[in-house]
Amino acid sequence: MSGLLERAHTVRQSNVWIYTTMMLSACVSLLASFVLSVDAIALAKNPTASLACNINATISCGTVGISWQAHLLGFPNAFLGMVAEPVVITIAVASLAKVRFPRGFMLAAQVVYTLGVIFAYWLFFQAMFVIGALCPWCLLVTLSTTLVFASLTHINLRDNNLFLPERAHEAARAGLRMGLDVLIVVLWLAAVVALVFAKYGLALFA
Amino acid sequence: MAQKNSKQKNNKARAFSSATKSEPKSTGSTAESRRELMRLQREREAREKKVRTGVTIGIVAVVVAGILAGLIWLVPALAARKSAAADPYALAIGSATASVTVDIYQDFMCPYCGQFDRAQASDLAALVDAGTVKVDFHIMAFLDDSSNGTKYSTRAANAFVAVAQREPSKALAFNSALYQNQPAEGSNGLTDAEIADRARQAGVSDSLAATFASLQNVDFVSRSNQAAFDAGVTSTPTVKINGAAFKGNLYAAGALKDAVTKTVGSK
Repeated sequence: MSGLLERAHTVRQSNVWIYTTMMLSACVSLLASFVLSVDAIALAKNPTASLACNINATISCGTVGISWQAHLLGFPNAFLGMVAEPVVITIAVASLAKVRFPRGFMLAAQVVYTLGVIFAYWLFFQAMFVIGALCPWCLLVTLSTTLVFASLTHINLRDNNLFLPERAHEAARAGLRMGLDVLIVVLWLAAVVALVFAKYGLALFA
Repeated sequence: MAQKNSKQKNNKARAFSSATKSEPKSTGSTAESRRELMRLQREREAREKKVRTGVTIGIVAVVVAGILAGLIWLVPALAARKSAAADPYALAIGSATASVTVDIYQDFMCPYCGQFDRAQASDLAALVDAGTVKVDFHIMAFLDDSSNGTKYSTRAANAFVAVAQREPSKALAFNSALYQNQPAEGSNGLTDAEIADRARQAGVSDSLAATFASLQNVDFVSRSNQAAFDAGVTSTPTVKINGAAFKGNLYAAGALKDAVTKTVGSK
């Protein structure tokens, strides 16, 4: 049991694991963005278009899709995902092939992706508390964005691509070795799920 | 010796500050100090392993607790909702354990409801008596405007609700009694006294029949009417068998019984 845990721990710290997680999550995010973009076009043609993901009053991408929040910058948010996720996939695939990017490049990726995560969670909270409906594809984006962010941050903390001072870098590395990052992500996602259930409860299954 | 000690201290400090770059660069790196460093690293690894195990247990605990909490909360809540989902305005007649539920949405002023009842009533009564069928009556009163202002739909419904709730064993008979010689749409309908008479003929007690005129169930009737519309009912009679719309001929004797028999057989 302990040996298995240590093996899992070693695997988790490996580049293959981290970049594979990043790549798969980014692919999921890209797929969801693609579906949301197609839906956005359908909704632009006909705001009452019936979408496959309109399951009930609570789980409805139509309701979310026609909100102003869904095209904050004047175009569907999902277009951003279609632009950004292929970059992440490229980084992940190249890294799996042992390419190592300059620290400044990875720092830039971290900064931009952090903005993306903030935007994704802003949308999530808008959908939860303002629009009052959740869309399955958006939730998938929220989840996969979180995972991409976690893996990107893992790499950048480990390799100190964030130009942290030595002490902070060492503390971060120790945290990663002890699995604190996984704990944070799990607690975070658990909190998100708990929030959804606390807010909507049985309405999710109506 | 004293010098060596201080160097070792120095190395020790470095070992803490740069964990894996533990190769000491200092000039006096003897085998002894290297051993000391390795010992420190082992200690650190042991410490981290301990924390890591704790963290892993924590993660597993969070996930398991989440799943358990979800199940503990969700399963009974869903089960409760399923039973609560039953229309509170459904007037159930028959055994609660009957394998088939027939929902009937009706308005006593609606001629086709009468035609439906006259065609199916005897089969329905037999199926209810046999414990095969439970009928959920959903009373509507949207034809109130078709009785010259006497609101016959509501008055008849009011009486039927009273009977269904308090003397349910007489409900089917009373229901049919209201549809025998049914007053035509656009007429004044039956008077309250006539409704009470038909109730008594169907076996309803005098004391209950005497309450009809006080229209105690009018609120229930209007809410039941609204609930039926909310449920998507657009015409009467609407008949469902175990929740699925009855697609047979509503007015052909035996058609409902056949559908019920088929439903029982398919179980």
